[in-house]
Amino acid sequence: MSDNRMNNRIKHPHSKVNLNKPLSFTFDGKSYQGFAGDTLASALLANGVKVVARSFKYGRPRGIIGAGAEEPNALVQIDTGARTTPDLKATQVELYEGLVAGRTSGWPSLAFDLKSVGGKFSRFMPAGFYYKTFKAPVKMWPIYENIIRRAAGYGKSPIEADTETYDHQHHHVDLLVVGGGATGLLAALLAGRSGVKVLLVDDQSELGGYLLSMPNVKIGGLTAQNWSANIIAELASLPNVTILTRTTAFALHDMNMIQAVELLQDHLPHSARNATQRRERMHRIRATKVVLAAGAFERPLVFGNNDLPGIMTASALTTYINRYGVACGKNAVIMTSNDLAYQGAVDLAAAGVKVTIVDTREHINPEWANRTNKLGIKVYSGYGVSEAIGTSAVQGVKLVKLGALKNIVTGSGPDISCDVLASSGGLSPTVHLFCHDGGRPKWDEARLAFVVSANGRAKDGIFCVGAITGVFALQEGLAKTRITLAEVLTDLDKTIDDSGLALETDEIAVTPARHIFHVPDGKDVHGTIFTRPKAFVDFQNDVAVSDIQLAVRENYRSIEHIKRYTALGFGTDQGKLSNVNGFAIAAEALGKTIPEVGTTTYRPAYTPVSFGALAGAHVGITFEPRRYTAMQATHEAYGAEFEDVGQWIRPWYFAKPGEDIHAAVNRECLATRNSVGMLDASTLGKIDIRGKDVREFLNRIYANAWTQLAVGKCRYGLMLDEAGMVMDDGVTACITDTHFLMTTTSGGAARVMTWLEKWHQTEWPELEVYMTSVTDHWTTAALVGPKSRDVLAKLCTDIDLSKDAFKFMDWRDGTVAGVPARVFRISFSGELAYEVNVDASYGNYVWNELMKAGKEFDITPYGTETMHVLRAEKGFIIVGQDTDGSVTPFDLDMAWAVGMKKPYSFLGKRSLARSDTSRTDRKQLVGLLPEDPNVVLKEGAQLINSSDITPPVPMLGHVTSSYYSAFLGRSIAMGFVIDGIKRRDEEGRNIVYAWAEGKAVKVKIVSSVFVDAEGARHNV
Amino acid sequence: MFVIRCPHCCEVREEEEFSYSGEAFVARPSAPEIESDENWGDYLFMKRNVKGWHWEMWGHSSGCRKFFVVKRNTANHSIGGAWSLTEARKEYDAEEANA
Amino acid sequence: MFNSSQSNQTSQFKPVMQSPLHPFGLAAKQEKVNGTKGVWANEVPLLGYISLRGNVQNAAFINAVNSALGISLPTQPCSMLDSSFGSILWLSTDEWLLICPREQRATLQKLLETALQGIHSQVFDNSGGFTSVILQGKNASDVLHHCTVYDLSALQAGKVVGTTFGKVSLFLQQDKNGYRLVFRRSFADYIWRYLERSALPYGFGIAQLNDER
Repeated sequence: MSDNRMNNRIKHPHSKVNLNKPLSFTFDGKSYQGFAGDTLASALLANGVKVVARSFKYGRPRGIIGAGAEEPNALVQIDTGARTTPDLKATQVELYEGLVAGRTSGWPSLAFDLKSVGGKFSRFMPAGFYYKTFKAPVKMWPIYENIIRRAAGYGKSPIEADTETYDHQHHHVDLLVVGGGATGLLAALLAGRSGVKVLLVDDQSELGGYLLSMPNVKIGGLTAQNWSANIIAELASLPNVTILTRTTAFALHDMNMIQAVELLQDHLPHSARNATQRRERMHRIRATKVVLAAGAFERPLVFGNNDLPGIMTASALTTYINRYGVACGKNAVIMTSNDLAYQGAVDLAAAGVKVTIVDTREHINPEWANRTNKLGIKVYSGYGVSEAIGTSAVQGVKLVKLGALKNIVTGSGPDISCDVLASSGGLSPTVHLFCHDGGRPKWDEARLAFVVSANGRAKDGIFCVGAITGVFALQEGLAKTRITLAEVLTDLDKTIDDSGLALETDEIAVTPARHIFHVPDGKDVHGTIFTRPKAFVDFQNDVAVSDIQLAVRENYRSIEHIKRYTALGFGTDQGKLSNVNGFAIAAEALGKTIPEVGTTTYRPAYTPVSFGALAGAHVGITFEPRRYTAMQATHEAYGAEFEDVGQWIRPWYFAKPGEDIHAAVNRECLATRNSVGMLDASTLGKIDIRGKDVREFLNRIYANAWTQLAVGKCRYGLMLDEAGMVMDDGVTACITDTHFLMTTTSGGAARVMTWLEKWHQTEWPELEVYMTSVTDHWTTAALVGPKSRDVLAKLCTDIDLSKDAFKFMDWRDGTVAGVPARVFRISFSGELAYEVNVDASYGNYVWNELMKAGKEFDITPYGTETMHVLRAEKGFIIVGQDTDGSVTPFDLDMAWAVGMKKPYSFLGKRSLARSDTSRTDRKQLVGLLPEDPNVVLKEGAQLINSSDITPPVPMLGHVTSSYYSAFLGRSIAMGFVIDGIKRRDEEGRNIVYAWAEGKAVKVKIVSSVFVDAEGARHNV
Repeated sequence: MFVIRCPHCCEVREEEEFSYSGEAFVARPSAPEIESDENWGDYLFMKRNVKGWHWEMWGHSSGCRKFFVVKRNTANHSIGGAWSLTEARKEYDAEEANA
Repeated sequence: MFNSSQSNQTSQFKPVMQSPLHPFGLAAKQEKVNGTKGVWANEVPLLGYISLRGNVQNAAFINAVNSALGISLPTQPCSMLDSSFGSILWLSTDEWLLICPREQRATLQKLLETALQGIHSQVFDNSGGFTSVILQGKNASDVLHHCTVYDLSALQAGKVVGTTFGKVSLFLQQDKNGYRLVFRRSFADYIWRYLERSALPYGFGIAQLNDER
């Protein structure tokens, strides 16, 4: 069936396509055949497929324009299901057997796009159209957006989870070469020979760059192909050189950190893809020196109807014939302002295509005149194509005679029929990476290009070679690369070795180009809106010359503003073809020169990068560090549900069959208060602090006093930041007079450790203290409840556990289940409780022994939820839940934990006396009892004075903690209320309402100690 | 994404190993209680926020955990040097004296 | 009275130690290193780890440590020393980590504490808090380059560096057949899974432990 389709494939002696390896693929539901070595674009062109997309705004049919990353039109959807990828450029998609490609635009179809009906009225959709048209009413915007999005096209994101994997790789090299064309290869070789560590990256499947498109040129007497093959072979033999192909350097950051993404498997048929390999890899390359050999893109000339399918750049036309053996037509017109298009024209003619050249210059290069003449190529010099003719593909051109000095129409020219039209407006260097980190290109009027100089950023270690420097001739480029590399290698204390490298070529010397970007059509600017064909600058965003002119008429002056008003240079191609034309056309409209207008800002990424590549290994189970205690497997076996506490994974509750979280937590709470429960408290931060000044250090760090704490005792401490706000809390034990063990919150451990070190290192180096984090060393099992002593006594006989020998807030060293242990008699529940600390290697063993010993008391392991309920019943705060960085100890009614009389002005002390922290109408933490004991308040609910929620409603504070207390048989809560402590004690003022989810609930302000205010339960 | 030479590990390391720790040489008043609210507020909150060379504190959080001083240009991320706290003080004082 | 019962007590219990990577059952999966995999790793479980801090400007501190350990405390940044008891790693200008066989841990700690009596210092048995993983094979460096920002070409023998691994930190040193990673217990699961994931393209095997310590 593909037989009756047009076949543009020719047998080309240098083609990189293997005609013995046919590949079948589909595009937009139709089957086609291509060959190994094809891109999707070259295969479609070989099959005569012209329309591959519909334009963004007007729905106009569009074809393939370029041959690489510059392509603005041919955005395709590759693959299906979880693997589907939207908006890939067909020019960069390598063909493989069974490839499924779809269109990303064209609604309802490529053949008929509804927008094209609107396109007939395109004068109603000028620049700023969306801003002007869809601005009101606001409520309608989601509807407009839906329709516009659907009509505009662009591909579909995959909705299934990605089945493939990605990773990152870090490199540290002496020299990174970006670009594997002629000059990049030479740079890599010269550097490689010197022995420095070299990395060469190139975005294509094959090295060679534009040499692949100009196989007939000879370098040092060798064909381009043989010349590069020799260099590639030598590079491969050098152990200090690494080459990455299919790798696009997309960003250059501070101090030469280059990010590049490598496509590892997308070019392979599904059956050949390896599940153990990555789909893409992001390389993060730190390079001492960088050589940018990124080349250039050819920009097209701008003329009427220049978006018709079948119109492309001259270099793309050349690439398709020479590299892929695809003649994009039988009858080609090539318009040019320079010499660069001639080689392709000659190659095309030699392959049997009828070629006509339209050269905008009065005088053409005599050598090229000679060669074209020999091949029977007709050359119109001093003419331009003012308009392409055709409906869904180009069928011909209208020529106009151009002024010799000014870009005006001085006469008419013939109409010529053609089936492919190419143009060359000169080259636009790929200066993107050079500019990502602050570099700026300069306009070179002789080259008609924004260029960078070879050593433009040498002080940063960034050098440039080849077309990016405006050196477009190969021989000159190679010679200058040699000079630049000598400089680079000198900087690296190496010398250059260019033995055996002949760099002269058989190129034809270049003659000057014409300064022309937009070919005039001679028509009156006004009054021809309906008849004048659109001349597009930016194809992807449907920005025409008239849009830029309109923006200028509407008084946009900065090119950055013109860009944003017209959308010039946005999109997935980022204006690679359009920007310079746009700048030039804006300059003309503004009456300025191109350098006066300048460029827009080049920002990463150079080409689109997938989220998968950016995420790398930071997905799934390796997304974030998951810290586990020694008992994780035991907790899992016991049916724990887990919750994240910082990076820690902690048991949340242990549900028995049939229990939900409420049932489980109620059971755990009651078991603990009535018999004994056990909590894995290993995640608490622990810091071992030693030295003769430990007490003074703690006096400065904590709000309360540490001078009197006796050996064998523990004390609760409140840590403030310098603004006087509570930042952490925990119990610290005095081990000896010069040795303390501090505990911190689970989430705050690292922060506190850094905080202590910072103050010690920067402000108080004179204090003799050393700190070591010992969090991971200790496993902590908190044995809680009236039977905890009985359980511990079964396993620990070397500590006298009696009430008076081992008091509340004491600690003792001893042995538990045969393992050395440090036991703290402290309580976060108000119950008799012991925290048993052992070397974490024994943690799981000791936990299980405690469980066995507690069996007769129905010992109940509990998780963080029950811990929260038990502590809230006692009014104990959780830093980070009941505090948020704006809460002082006084706001918490915890003046008892602040030692205002300590001699040294401890951290945060002065701030407690600031006018803001000492004002009396601050929000204060209080207990809250809902009027209905079965209503559990929403945490975060606003507290207000009345159930009337007619605005404005003064907000008094909010609920921070709220639970159902099985022990009390009712709901309890804590929260902040303005002036809450006073209101609590004043009958009549102690009622507030908690408002959440559309409901206001009556609440009484009470003491936050709901259970055992006198402390009888732990004092046994 | 710059690199810093840790003055204690004596090696150039990637930025990921370090943590920014605020402006350097913000002296804590020796007697906070006698400072006015305004002075104390300045100490707490009023940072230089310069465009250009900035003396700042960094911690080698993945390495030696030492705090040290980096002179960094906030406009272009170039780094003028990195010193231990005591060495940096000399550099800083010399620069302030010349300013 | 409490001392007398202690001997009875130890006899009734059979304490069992578990290393941080115990849940992965590595011991049962280990095999002799061969050419089939690019990367080989295993945990060297249950070593002794002693944290040491002190002031190198203080000759008394240096002398005490040197005489207690019979070595010269490494004071060069990022240096480490192998000795008869194991190795001692420079972690910071005033911080070291001693790694030794578990059974020598108590002796070493005692030696240090005795020698450092009255000298400003810190000695802490951190053995429950750390573990070590060896990493070998022809792609060991490649795998690490997926995991750490450190330039491994700068990691010669005798050197130890604190650096990043994924989103956490660890100590990295060159080992006779590759690398050794020393890190905190609670990060073990993350680091091991990250290593497994990163090694996937090269083939990942569990290396037989010889007399690693």
